[in-house]
Parts: sequence; structure tokens; C-alpha cells
Amino acid sequence: MSVISKSPFNNYPDPTQTAPPMSETLIYMRTLASWILKTGCAIHYVHSNVYELKESRGESMLTTLNTSFDYVHTLKTYQNGNGVKNGDVIVALKPIDPHQRVCKRITGMPGDVIIIDPSNGSTHGRFESKYMVVPEGHCWVTGDNLSHSLDSRSYSVIPLGLIKGKIVAANDFNGSWRSLWGFRWIENAFVKE
Amino acid sequence: MFSGASAELLRKSLRRSWLFITWIPVVYTFNEHVCYIGKIEGSSMRPTFNPAVNSSDYVLLWKWNIRDPENLNYNDVVLLKSPMNPQKVFAKRIKGVQGDVIMTRYPYPREKCTVPTSHLWVEGDNIHSIDSNTFGPISTGLVVGKATRIIYPFSRWGEIPEGGRECRLSRLSEYA
Repeated sequence: MSVISKSPFNNYPDPTQTAPPMSETLIYMRTLASWILKTGCAIHYVHSNVYELKESRGESMLTTLNTSFDYVHTLKTYQNGNGVKNGDVIVALKPIDPHQRVCKRITGMPGDVIIIDPSNGSTHGRFESKYMVVPEGHCWVTGDNLSHSLDSRSYSVIPLGLIKGKIVAANDFNGSWRSLWGFRWIENAFVKE
Repeated sequence: MFSGASAELLRKSLRRSWLFITWIPVVYTFNEHVCYIGKIEGSSMRPTFNPAVNSSDYVLLWKWNIRDPENLNYNDVVLLKSPMNPQKVFAKRIKGVQGDVIMTRYPYPREKCTVPTSHLWVEGDNIHSIDSNTFGPISTGLVVGKATRIIYPFSRWGEIPEGGRECRLSRLSEYA
């Protein structure tokens, strides 16, 4: 029996062995795949609950954020509007298309009275500003570049539940490495008058 | 410090707990994006959920691709973050999708409402319910998951029964 099973030309499984041993490569592949899965999920967990670095695009936040290659440091502990204040820059799901995320500045919190569009009346020489009170659990967001921004002036208040995080700093990779790739803190711009 | 056997035991249990910890993010991701179990409290969906007082139902929450408009259809039951308080989660039934014209009910200020793009009109099956008639159409970004079946209590295991009223203007004309 032992002679047959040790023969290099015998491909039949050894009947004395209960389970055929897994090949080295198969074990290696399985371990690799499980670690890739675990690492990916751990990164996803951190991205959705703690911190995320992501490129922000578009003109709507100009002078604060560049149109491209500007990476924002987002703290996800502020999600669901948890502890955000007037003047904070936030990342939120776009209410009219939740597949997109927008980056805006909060300019009204629940209870605040908002002039819906300050530029509206004056351009036509008459002042017909409309006012509204921000309802409970919502906020009013606008881009810093008011003339080129789709924000609460078009889709009205957004629920705090759509807020995904607060932007605390940004890296503009258009800048040189000497300026630490354009690193700067993004600060609260709210001035109380 | 340790004899050979207990050192081996310690090493084994450390390895076990490390393996356990590394699987937690995987479970989290699965529960966040594929499926999860949701607990339903309160009376707003009576008699579909919680037909008895002080009971709570557990439902299977399907979360895969939940923000796609084709996954959110009329008469689906969804769990969504409350627009008034994002920490709270409501269970409501979709009574209108984007583009539908809705005949609203009492607390709503106007008689009709057109549901905007990527928004839903949600109502509870119980008439005493805080729903879209109070807070208006909600963005699909607030949807947490779709309830597909009741899993506990086992006596009502299975598909979620239909409920609620018809409030789409285009369909109401069929009844007139």
C-alpha cells in the first residue's frame, strides 16, 4: 500500500488520508483575499466615520477651495450635522441628486431668518427680498462663490441628516511642495454683527 | 513566567481575538451597504407593523443601491432619517416618487404637491402619523434602507402587507 501511494506516477487520492491537504498557493490566495477584504472594509469604516481626504471640484467654493486638484480634509464625526455651526464648511449629499456630494458653507441654522436671495431684488432696481425661517433640523447652505453656485437659493434648506462631514483643512496640489502643497486650515467665516 | 501549555493557550486566545477584531469592519460594511435588521417602534405604521400596543417588530433592511430611483418604488416601506432630527429614524411607506402630484392631507399647507427630483412622498399606514404631510417630500439621501420582510415576531414572518391610501392625482382619477 505504502509503495503505491508514494509513487510519483500515482494521481489517485490516498485512501488512508481523510482530507486532501490544501495546496500552498490556494491557502496563500485565500489569506491574501481575506486580508484585502478586511483592509478595504477597515478603510471604508474610517472614511465613513472618522476622516476622509478627497478631491473637491467645481467653482462654487472659489476663493476658499480651488476648482480642481484641491483635496479637502473632512472630519466625519460631524455627520448628521452633529455639532456644526453657522459659518462651517460642510460636505453634504445634494438633495436633488443624492449620488453627488456638494461642499458648501452653512449660512443659516434652525430658527435663523434668511433673506432668500440678497442679490435678487437689487439687480432689477426693486427690492422684493423674500424671507424664511430655517425649520427645525435643517440648515441653509450657500457656496462662497455666490454668482456660480447651486445651493439653498435653488433647492431651499437641506436636512441635517444629509450632512456627511465638516471640512477642517485643505491641500491645494496646484501649489508647490514648499508651501506644504498649499495646506491651509479652513476656518469658520461667521462674523457676528 | 508561563509554563509551555498556558503560554500556548494565551497565544491562541490572542490570535483568536485579533482575528475576531479584524472581521468587525467587514461586518460593519456589509450591514451598512447590503442588509441589516431594523427594529420598528411606535404606532405610525399600525396595523402593518406593531399591531399590538407596546410591541416592536424586526424587519430585514435591504440597503444595496438604495439611493437608485428604480429601487424605491410606490408602496415600498423605507426607513429614513427624520428631517427634523437626524438621530431619529422613521419607518414610512412610499406614496409618491419623483414627478407624482400628490393630494395632501391635513397639516400640509397646500392641497396639491409635486414631488421634486430624487424626492419621495412618504406616509405612515396609520392616519395618526408624522409624515410628508407634516414635513413635505423628503430627499432619497435620507433613506437608510428598504424593509423587505418581517422577521420577528415569527407569527407574522414573511412579506410586508400592503397598506395606506392612494394619493397620487394621476391614479385618483381612476376612482372618480
